[in-house]
Amino acid sequence: MKTLLIRFGGLLAVLIGITLITFTISYFAPGDKAEAIAHARYPGDFGIPTEVLQGIREEFNLDAPFVHQYIHWLADVLRGDFGVSYSSRTPVWVIFVDNLGETVTLTLTSLAIGLAAAFLLSAVAVRYPNTIWDRGAVVISSIGAAMPSYWLALLLILGVSVHLGWLPAYGTGTFGHLILPSTTLAFWIMASQTRLMRTFMLEAYDQPFIETLRLRGIPEREIFSRHVLRHSFVPALTMIGLDMASLLEGAIIVELTFSRSGLGSVLAGSVLSRDLPVVMFLVMFFATAYVVINSVIDAVQHLCDPRNLNKAKTS
Amino acid sequence: MSLSQSFSISKGQLVDPLRHFTRQIALVCLALLSLWSLALWLTPYEPAAADFLDRLAPPSAAHWAGTDHLGRDIATRLLYGAGWSLGLSLAISLTGFVVGTFVGIFAARSGPAGDFAVMRVTDSFFAFPELIAAVTFAGLFGPSTTNLVIALMMVSWMKFARLARALTVNLGESDFITQARLNGLSSLLILWRHLLPNILPSLLVLWTNSWSRTILSVSGLSFLGFGIQPPSAEWGAMLLDGKAYMQTAPHIMIFPGLAVLLAVMVINLTGDRFRDLMAGKT
Repeated sequence: MKTLLIRFGGLLAVLIGITLITFTISYFAPGDKAEAIAHARYPGDFGIPTEVLQGIREEFNLDAPFVHQYIHWLADVLRGDFGVSYSSRTPVWVIFVDNLGETVTLTLTSLAIGLAAAFLLSAVAVRYPNTIWDRGAVVISSIGAAMPSYWLALLLILGVSVHLGWLPAYGTGTFGHLILPSTTLAFWIMASQTRLMRTFMLEAYDQPFIETLRLRGIPEREIFSRHVLRHSFVPALTMIGLDMASLLEGAIIVELTFSRSGLGSVLAGSVLSRDLPVVMFLVMFFATAYVVINSVIDAVQHLCDPRNLNKAKTS
Repeated sequence: MSLSQSFSISKGQLVDPLRHFTRQIALVCLALLSLWSLALWLTPYEPAAADFLDRLAPPSAAHWAGTDHLGRDIATRLLYGAGWSLGLSLAISLTGFVVGTFVGIFAARSGPAGDFAVMRVTDSFFAFPELIAAVTFAGLFGPSTTNLVIALMMVSWMKFARLARALTVNLGESDFITQARLNGLSSLLILWRHLLPNILPSLLVLWTNSWSRTILSVSGLSFLGFGIQPPSAEWGAMLLDGKAYMQTAPHIMIFPGLAVLLAVMVINLTGDRFRDLMAGKT
């Protein structure tokens, strides 16, 4: 119970830390925020009177000290009020929900393809060790881990869209638009996962219980499919948790390279137009999602591992 | 395993191949550095010298990797770009290494409350995916090399802090540290003579990983327009140049990408080898 409380307290502290870092960056971002708001409100109007700017400063508490502004902003966030976009004047929440689907679709498709491929590749590599399959899996995974995804994207566009003309290169919308981006992202997932799954499965083969199973006369095929294979789920779970950040980063690079709509494109666009409410919300969303998902995965992994059933939590 | 056995293993098989490998790496790095400076000196072109009569030329004897949309020699730009792509990420990851190690050891040595506080701060920073933090920071403060470096440094130290803390906590319970303390050695001396040499190898492996990741980040951010700005010959920025001319002159984007891929792969494989040697595999 005490460890649980400490963990929860830690989670809370981290979440507060996230809001503090986010707010600090936006607070010190250069440029007059009142002017940014005014320009968004009165587009095309360049000579904005000082009284109007003063009014905006008062409305948004822009002259208040740091702590005061932070607490005000945090209170709004906690109430679920994330503000209104400077440029489109739609609530940030609406922009987020509109674009979430594309990013989630891309990420999940890539995750499914990548994990499936990694599963196959590592299973073959472990079943037939020291063959050309095993070596091939290792080579592919080290190339994939080093491959800049933006370059792979460009190569795919060059080969498949430009030369073969099979798939559209840029944009979002149809299923065809999804294939190249998710292949790009899936390649990286496959590479990093194959390597881990292979190691985990090989480690499983070294465990004494495998020897016991062999002595009991259980066929090799069954040992593999019923006992060893399970170990490849551990990295897959971690992938969804710990590597969530890399996954999001990958999704963002892919979105921008393929000019897809999605949260990554919204983030890049609003960063460049200094649309602070949108930027702050997205950055906070990514960080919070990362922390929360990791805590959940941590718990799931803990529950899944039979070794932890009788052991008290240590960390 | 008895004590003497473990000693004989560490002396005969673990330490020596590791030393040998480190020496080899140092020699190879030295050789590469001198080759690089020699090539910079020998190349007849300037990285920013435009030649409009010779635009988008495919690879030839005069231009080994062809020329770009301004007629600049790509091979020369790749050489200069190595300074940006590899050198800058080296500096960033080294900073993360030093700062993170310091923070981690500090946390492990500062009692439960201090440890909790420091590590929650670390976790808070850790929550921001590197690229998102860098895009946000570099975007809001204006895309430039300085802001890119600041942004990447801010998010480069947390992994080192976590690892250094975990290793220090583990080692703090070991007999030889207790022994050293009982012998009356000062904390600083224990830290320097006993703790650091033991945790450094693992941190070094993490560092090779961090360096190669930073190379990908630096060139990725430059490719997206948030990092090093043209006309600097950074590899990612060169890729961005090549993107527009992909159909007519694909060589502009092929070579910089290949350079990133190879550099990252070599660093990764070196790190892997180092880790394997540390684990006692040969």
